[in-house]
Amino acid sequence: MLGSIFVRCAFVSLLVSSGAYYYTFRTQSAQSIQLARYCYQFTAALVMAFCATLIYLILTHQYQYTYVWNYSSSDLPTPLLISTFYAGQEGSFSLWALYTTIIGVILMQYTSKKQYEVEVMLVWSLILSFLLLMLIVKNPFTLIWDSFPKDLLHTGPIPADVSSFIWIDKAKGMWAQFPIEGKGLNPLLQNYWMVIHPQILFTGFSSMAVPFTFALAGLLRRDYQGWVKIAKPWTVFGAAVLGTGIILGGYWAYETLGWGGYWGWDPVENSSLLPWLVCVSSIHTMMAQRRSGTFVRTNFTLSILCFIMVLYSTFLTRSGVLGETSVHSFVDPGMWAYWLLLGVIVVFTCIGFGLLLRRTKEMPRVPVEHSIFSREFALFLGAFTICFAAAFITIGTSSPIITNIIKGHAAAVDTAYYVKTTLPLGIVIAILAGIGQLLWWKTSNTRDLLKSLLYPLFSSLLFAGGLIYYGVRDIPIVIFSGASAFALFVNVLVGYRIFVGNPKYAGGAIAHIGIALLFLGFVASARYDDKQTVSLEQGKPTEILRGFTLTYLGNHALDAERYGFNVEVQHGSEAYTVMPVMRYSSFTNSMMRHPDILNMYTKDFYISPLSVESPDDKVQRTVTFIKGEIKELNAMKVTFVDFDFSDMEKGKMVAGANFSIGVILEVSNGDKTERIKPLMNNTGGSISYVPAKPTGSSIEFTIVKLQPNREDPTQSRVDIEINDPSSISKEPKVETLVVEASVKPYINLVWMGTVTLILGFVLTIIRRVQEAKDKQ
Amino acid sequence: MKIKIIIASIVIVAAIIFGAISFVETNVEYTDFHTAATSHKKVQVKGAWVKDKESLFDAATSQFVFYMKDDFGREEKVVYDGAKPNNFEIANAVVVKGRYHDGYFHASEILTKCPSKYEADGETVKKTL
Repeated sequence: MLGSIFVRCAFVSLLVSSGAYYYTFRTQSAQSIQLARYCYQFTAALVMAFCATLIYLILTHQYQYTYVWNYSSSDLPTPLLISTFYAGQEGSFSLWALYTTIIGVILMQYTSKKQYEVEVMLVWSLILSFLLLMLIVKNPFTLIWDSFPKDLLHTGPIPADVSSFIWIDKAKGMWAQFPIEGKGLNPLLQNYWMVIHPQILFTGFSSMAVPFTFALAGLLRRDYQGWVKIAKPWTVFGAAVLGTGIILGGYWAYETLGWGGYWGWDPVENSSLLPWLVCVSSIHTMMAQRRSGTFVRTNFTLSILCFIMVLYSTFLTRSGVLGETSVHSFVDPGMWAYWLLLGVIVVFTCIGFGLLLRRTKEMPRVPVEHSIFSREFALFLGAFTICFAAAFITIGTSSPIITNIIKGHAAAVDTAYYVKTTLPLGIVIAILAGIGQLLWWKTSNTRDLLKSLLYPLFSSLLFAGGLIYYGVRDIPIVIFSGASAFALFVNVLVGYRIFVGNPKYAGGAIAHIGIALLFLGFVASARYDDKQTVSLEQGKPTEILRGFTLTYLGNHALDAERYGFNVEVQHGSEAYTVMPVMRYSSFTNSMMRHPDILNMYTKDFYISPLSVESPDDKVQRTVTFIKGEIKELNAMKVTFVDFDFSDMEKGKMVAGANFSIGVILEVSNGDKTERIKPLMNNTGGSISYVPAKPTGSSIEFTIVKLQPNREDPTQSRVDIEINDPSSISKEPKVETLVVEASVKPYINLVWMGTVTLILGFVLTIIRRVQEAKDKQ
Repeated sequence: MKIKIIIASIVIVAAIIFGAISFVETNVEYTDFHTAATSHKKVQVKGAWVKDKESLFDAATSQFVFYMKDDFGREEKVVYDGAKPNNFEIANAVVVKGRYHDGYFHASEILTKCPSKYEADGETVKKTL
């Protein structure tokens, strides 16, 4: 109740704030700006109170609230308990709103010093009001008996065994029962990643709105150049934080989900990548504008687009529009939230691009002074290529919507689409990331350029040649790796020279070294990984791929739900013990598998448990027979001769009486051949199966499925279950562990590249903040 | 200047055509077993696991075999390259991605749909009273 009041008051106070900012914008009044500030600060306090209320309810286990009941339970440790705050949709919107509010407070401080406050905060409060409106529509303070009135609302006397109840209307005898324990947090989310990853991701998501606000403020003030300088550190900050969030999400998936990868081109992943790509491309063109005043319209467009991408991504993943086409279950948030999400995209697109169009005529035309061999042009091309990649990914992710409009039913693209379309763009990006660093502003001396190109170009050609020599035959991959190596060599050379001069200026080169390492890591770990599924008999060493030998040592219970499987890994002279874990979760009522990873310098050995075959399991299998085909099974030859379905039985079936269908199998056991007939009986509509055994054998044949083919009877099929009870005793009494083992070469490059990239971003932020301070 | 614009437009148009072709090529259609069996193309089929029929993990081939009934009631054997997916037991719907051939559906990917993970019903709430 209190929480709902807080968020409503915050919304009203925010409206007053934006109204006052608008009035200030019109009249330049000094009083109204004070009012606007106070109101925004009051809003911030209310939003924090709103979040604190939810945290309080979670920490004190108030299960009479649906949200608290749905995501937490009393046995969770405190950090995880706090993280259930954003485990659901309402909560993650709250987190987004909270960070947007806090960034707004900092932004107010920052912009008031730069005389940009009025316009920036006007736009910022509009954005925040959308988030608060979303929280009013979907707030996490719904009472549980309002969610489940049929099960929890009662009238009449209260039974003696009911301990947790509350009177709704004592006069009418109406009361509600509420749970004393929560449903708990999804076990897949129960690890420390859940505590840090969403926080970083939503900080990044919130800061993606900052360049948008600055761009709009610039348009409102008709300051087409100055805004870039003050927006720049924020843009880089957003890219750094969101980038960290994205890669941490990838590492989380790699480490705990057990499917063996860190990136799956899933809509949820793509939706955070898209704004990031647009943001990164705008960093490049902003840099060019700061230097030579060009790309004025490009920077407005990209900064606006970046935030529109945030909204569109949110729409894709939160509105339920993707429905069935992704691994993630997208909850339909209800009609109100759907239209609000869609409406917000339209509103901000109209505001952003509408204002840009109105101002575009009066913008001064900056004459193009740079040649094709200039850093400006390389930056523009780079930004353009990154945007193209973003466009391809947007189209791919929106595929269910596009195909629904064109063909009438939704279809997703295969992940191959993303690899195929981004690979050529990746080559261009890598080449530009190298050449761009060697070019001068305005124009470059061709001779100097060629001279500086000599060593990197020669080394990368040598590198590509080496790849071919070592058996890489995939030409696009060779080109991509060669181009990435080129970018790496150039940026190491250039970066070293800059770093010796002034380390602060090396941010760009270091970030590009990171990108080059990432690219090389992607190719090595994702394209040249080796995967093998093996069955490991307990105690018996089994040799698998790339000189690894695995021995399954046995398992032991870690707690009530989790079992650890000890596997000895032998590689060369070294031996390690790994322990992948299987967990039978009573929460999801299913088996979950957690991999274990052996991190070596040049590769990761990744082992994920698939299943355990106990010796007392029934030995059975189902075989599909095509008519006339001979199958060899356990030293027997089995042929599916025909169905046994006489006219008399057909008549019974038509008449609706009990009938049976048989399958004639010819079983040949060395010298002896005989025909057996398992049956399917239909007794009053209920189906039963009668197995058949060849004489002198314990093996049973049972019908699983009949697949007659009326057009072509020779193509008729039947699925038969073959069951050999006697073989149990013959099997040795050892357990078999089935695992998927894979080797991921040079995956460390991916993590190294990420760290380097972030380091480059941080150096750039420091430099740009100082720059924005210096020339006020 | 004009030449620049022409080159730029050619590059953009080429990229768009390339993107469109890739898009159409890799689009995996949502369909039923009937279409899957006749077209032999890579498709996605949504349906439900037939729990009373046998399902097993064949350690020899590392494949998981089960029977699935699509939304139109057609039942097929599905062979998946891998172990039984997480959440398979509680999934109220299963989406298999792959090709139909030789009398069964050969799945390269399985998605399990578990709304119960996120959305609780009255039965769940009763358990925690």
